[in-house]
Amino acid sequence: MNKKQGSLSLNSPSDNQLMEEVRDGKLEKLAILFERHHVILYNFFLRLTANRSISEDLVQDVFFRILRYRHTYRGESKFTIWMYQISRNAHVDYLRKRKEEIPLDEQWTIPLSREQTPAENLEQVEKITLLRQSLAKLPLKKREVLVLSRFQNLKYREIAELLGCNTGTVKAHVHRATKELGKIYFELSGGMVS
Amino acid sequence: MKCKQIRTRFADFLIGEIDQISKEKIQEHLTACSSCREELETLSETWTKLGVLPEEEPSDRLRPRFYAMLEAYKQGFEQEKRAPRSTRILNGWLESWWPRRSVFQLTLALILLGVGLALGYFFTSGGQSRTEVAQLRLEIQSVRQAMAVSLLDQPSAVERLRGVNWSARLEHPNEETLQALLNTLNRDPNVNVRLAAADALYLFYNYPVVREGLLQSFSKQTSPLVQVALIDLIIEMRERRAIESLKQLIEENTLNPDVKQRAEQGIQLLSY
Repeated sequence: MNKKQGSLSLNSPSDNQLMEEVRDGKLEKLAILFERHHVILYNFFLRLTANRSISEDLVQDVFFRILRYRHTYRGESKFTIWMYQISRNAHVDYLRKRKEEIPLDEQWTIPLSREQTPAENLEQVEKITLLRQSLAKLPLKKREVLVLSRFQNLKYREIAELLGCNTGTVKAHVHRATKELGKIYFELSGGMVS
Repeated sequence: MKCKQIRTRFADFLIGEIDQISKEKIQEHLTACSSCREELETLSETWTKLGVLPEEEPSDRLRPRFYAMLEAYKQGFEQEKRAPRSTRILNGWLESWWPRRSVFQLTLALILLGVGLALGYFFTSGGQSRTEVAQLRLEIQSVRQAMAVSLLDQPSAVERLRGVNWSARLEHPNEETLQALLNTLNRDPNVNVRLAAADALYLFYNYPVVREGLLQSFSKQTSPLVQVALIDLIIEMRERRAIESLKQLIEENTLNPDVKQRAEQGIQLLSY
């Protein structure tokens, strides 16, 4: 998963270097960071909120906050950890503002793959829909830690730094969250193992 | 090792980051303990299942929005750099007193407001403590409104952009704020600020004045970017009255072909 980043770093500046330049006034360098991270960040929010347009707003908000709070960036930890810290704040602020439950995006359709037969496809679609519903039912803290560890390419110790706890706690959370998600999925699928 | 200890390593197992010795120890335990074995199997199954969730691409709107924001911010930043030194020193001094986190900013603002009210109470010594809370709330709202409106009037594009953001955060914007936003949409010299204003107005499209304002705004826009944004908004709002405005728009000779196409799509979408 880090191969891509590894080969990037041979010729191109690292995220941390770029962010230091942004902090020191070369604001245009933020464009490179945006290009590198906006898709994965969008998917992070999509898995937390299950809503496309909200997720796009949040990505925009995060990059705006990065500009606004650029002075507070200290190059000690990885840029992505700082970025996720900002992202979590943006998400929490959003939830506070909204208060009521976020609607699941009805249009969150699933792109169909052509290589599969219709029957296989249907099964896949059902699985994805069930997983999304299960994720949405998971309490926020658990959903967050699960998404961070499963999809965002972060190591447990990085998540620990991000959440301000120790690595053991993160592992325990991941364990519990996975277990609970499995349970919810099982219940939603009508108790049938797939 | 006991089951409890073994299970603390299951998270490492899921991501495959576990050294050979621990792995062997755990596997040894698993052959003997069916409960731990089942636990790990269930976890792995769920973990693997999550892999089917596809990664999605954001819509085409995200990238232009980001670059518009960056451009507007850069413009404001340049202007700030050109500001006279004395102003910068004063600003710096004032800023050093101003807390960075918005929670503290709000707290400070509330404290100052509280001090003001307390002084007022002290000097007038009235007996209306109950109504004060409600009044305080009203005052905060009106302070916010005033803040938004005054920011919208600033010479710097960044400040105006901030004004748009402030207005978007209001729960019940008054007529003046909405009108200021509409003015920004129609007259702001910076296209990015106009775009942001369009986005903010979308939040308040339940207000009749906003719906009317947006409908009338078509004839006032010259930038294709803003025109397209407006058309998208009106489609989202399902505002059928817009069909007439769109038809008029299409009639214009100088209209950008992309906008024309979007307007035609809009008419179609709104017609059923």
